[in-house]
Amino acid sequence: MRQPRTPRGSRRGAPQVRLRLGFVVIAMVLSVFGARLVQLQGVDPNSYAAMAAAEGLVEVDLPAERGDILDRNGEPLADSVDGLMVVANPEMTAERAPELARFLYRELDVDYAATLNRLREEGSLFEYIARRVPSTLATEVVEAAEQAGFEGLDTRRDPLRDYPAGDVAANLVGFLGTDEPLAGLERTFDARLSGTDGSARYEVGAGKRIPLGENTVTKPVDGQDLQTTIDLDLQWYAQRVLRQTVESSGGSSGFAVVMDSRTGELLAVADHPTFDANLPTEAPKEDLGSRTMQDVYEPGSVEKVLTLSSLLDLGVLSPRTQIVVPPSLQREDSPIGDWFDHGTIRLTLAGVLAKSSNIGTVLAADRFEAGQLHDYLTRFGLGRTTDIGVRGETEGLLPPANAWTHQMQDRIAFGQSLSVNGVQMTAAVNTIANDGVRVSPSLIRGSATTDDGAMVGTDATTEHRVISARAAHQTMLMMERVVDERVGVAPGAAVPGYRVAGKTGTAQRVGAECGCYDGTFTVSFAGFAPADDPRFTVYVVVQDPTNGGGGGSIAGPAFAKIMSYALKRYAVPPTGTQPSRLPVEW
Amino acid sequence: MSSPVPQFRSRVPRIAEVAVERARLTVVPRRRVRAARMPFVALVSMVLLGGVVGLLLFNTSMQQASFAATALDGQATRLAAREQLLEMELDRLRNPQRIAAAAQRLGMVQACTPAFLTLGTGEITGQPCAADPAGRFPIWPAQPQKPAVLDPAPNVVEVAATPVISGDTDHGAAGNAARGGRKNQQPQQPQQPQNQR
Repeated sequence: MRQPRTPRGSRRGAPQVRLRLGFVVIAMVLSVFGARLVQLQGVDPNSYAAMAAAEGLVEVDLPAERGDILDRNGEPLADSVDGLMVVANPEMTAERAPELARFLYRELDVDYAATLNRLREEGSLFEYIARRVPSTLATEVVEAAEQAGFEGLDTRRDPLRDYPAGDVAANLVGFLGTDEPLAGLERTFDARLSGTDGSARYEVGAGKRIPLGENTVTKPVDGQDLQTTIDLDLQWYAQRVLRQTVESSGGSSGFAVVMDSRTGELLAVADHPTFDANLPTEAPKEDLGSRTMQDVYEPGSVEKVLTLSSLLDLGVLSPRTQIVVPPSLQREDSPIGDWFDHGTIRLTLAGVLAKSSNIGTVLAADRFEAGQLHDYLTRFGLGRTTDIGVRGETEGLLPPANAWTHQMQDRIAFGQSLSVNGVQMTAAVNTIANDGVRVSPSLIRGSATTDDGAMVGTDATTEHRVISARAAHQTMLMMERVVDERVGVAPGAAVPGYRVAGKTGTAQRVGAECGCYDGTFTVSFAGFAPADDPRFTVYVVVQDPTNGGGGGSIAGPAFAKIMSYALKRYAVPPTGTQPSRLPVEW
Repeated sequence: MSSPVPQFRSRVPRIAEVAVERARLTVVPRRRVRAARMPFVALVSMVLLGGVVGLLLFNTSMQQASFAATALDGQATRLAAREQLLEMELDRLRNPQRIAAAAQRLGMVQACTPAFLTLGTGEITGQPCAADPAGRFPIWPAQPQKPAVLDPAPNVVEVAATPVISGDTDHGAAGNAARGGRKNQQPQQPQQPQNQR
């Protein structure tokens, strides 16, 4: 305290006394503050903090919107809709439960009896009435209920995931459970799709935000969309053709793959049986995955394409090489036979493929040196995963080179004793279509990171040459003979007006129980068109048909339908050149 | 006050002595000037009042803006939800299965292999063919086979034709139509083509 310059009398007393008095007063006030501080912060700080928070401070989650899963044209396979759950407080609803249940049955299409029970549940304060209702609808219904005089209904946030096309591509896309993704792309790319939730804290008065009150907002980061290479319409068509094929042949399951020959993009990966992604719980558990990627099977005769093209690449044989095919061929301890009975016939190499002769293929494969076929098959992509971003993909079963016996090589040459998955085999056959260059298949447009950290997508596509362009061309010419009306085994696979190259497969299946060939079959057809300028490679497989048909009669027509639709949809004109006339016999 | 040249003083004649005498500094008695209090008090009050009223108005307008913001926020959320719902309905309407079902109801069939007509030259590539109504494409799953107990062979009884009493038949037919009418309105119901099984 400064003394004033001019003393004006002594009314204020002696400075010393005043100073002391002042100090005492200040000390007393400060100690009161101190005591209060200890009381607030030391004794029970949390209760006061909670009281302060309760006093109008609101904290809300700002949910991030989940990214959509799109097809190649941007049509949604899965999209997110703001949803609400409708909940009831039975203490308030019990009184007029029957009327309210009737009202909810009409408006929300819920089960009347179950709703009635929930509305009257004794001793409960919270019952779910309907889950995942679009928020507009839920709000309207609850408001309408209030206007009609019903009490005790409320809504809570409950995000809704909608799969507009139902079962189309459901085996790939997967589905969400109550809280988390459970299968398919939804689960594999969850980190990308889900985004990060935000939150907001603000003070409210009378239901409105107080402008100068506390206000912190952490904005949510919405999930990114995931664009696939699937073509929704083609996928739908492939699924319907496949279902018809499997049902009419009495098969147990099947799949169909459509691949863009040049880019390796998968336009359709159809599975049957499938499920409705909106109602995954109504389907058997084994139908929820992708059989194309997760089941192994022996490819059978389709594999002959790989064997013979490798031989052509080695230059040891040509399509016109003449082979004498005996009725049966004794190899080590077991005979090898053909699917059709014949005497000693004289086939060219093209004829071996067109007639799908096991014996002819084994005789041709004798020209391999040890390890060569294994190397070729590895380069065709067999025995390792395709890494397209589908969970639980099997890598198939290609016996290691050092375990190969001569007998095993004979069987592998015509498609036994090795197992593959559907996309693997499609990519291998597509190598022939793509002038001998294997292009890695992809399901995701651009690039995305799976939940185990792998980068997948069209940006990660790799290409490597497996066989020479000349060998690929020769193989294509031989494959064209397969669909020839007069000499081939699968005239049903022809698309009139177009050149089609393909190969049938009818393989014995290994039963799960006995671990041996159990007398059932896997029938298949793989091919591409237009043969001299391929745009699409299509592979159709049906497991365990019971109508006695083979690859040519069951899978061939399905191949032709899907191929015809793809050519039509992408407006691919016929090339107008003459199909191959390679001799099949001599 | 001290002159730098005091020796001149004696020689210089004293001029303007009176004036000098008058100009000499003296202590003036202190004079208190009282400024008028009213304007100052009025000014301060005005400033305070103005401040308080201004603050109040400012606060009120902010509150109003906040109310408007909350209301608009709610509206934006509602409209966004509505848009999503309409988007969802649109996607469901675009579902290829629904379109195929609608097309089949109109009697449309899947086209056969594609063919191309070059305009100008009139040249046709590919093999054009007529759409075949017999080849209706089954878009619904086949219905499961009923066990023999539930699907007995029809029991055919041949009776001689007798005249029909018209009144009775009319009544029966009308009753059937009324009962069956509701089922047909549900578009999701799988409608099996005749050649399915």
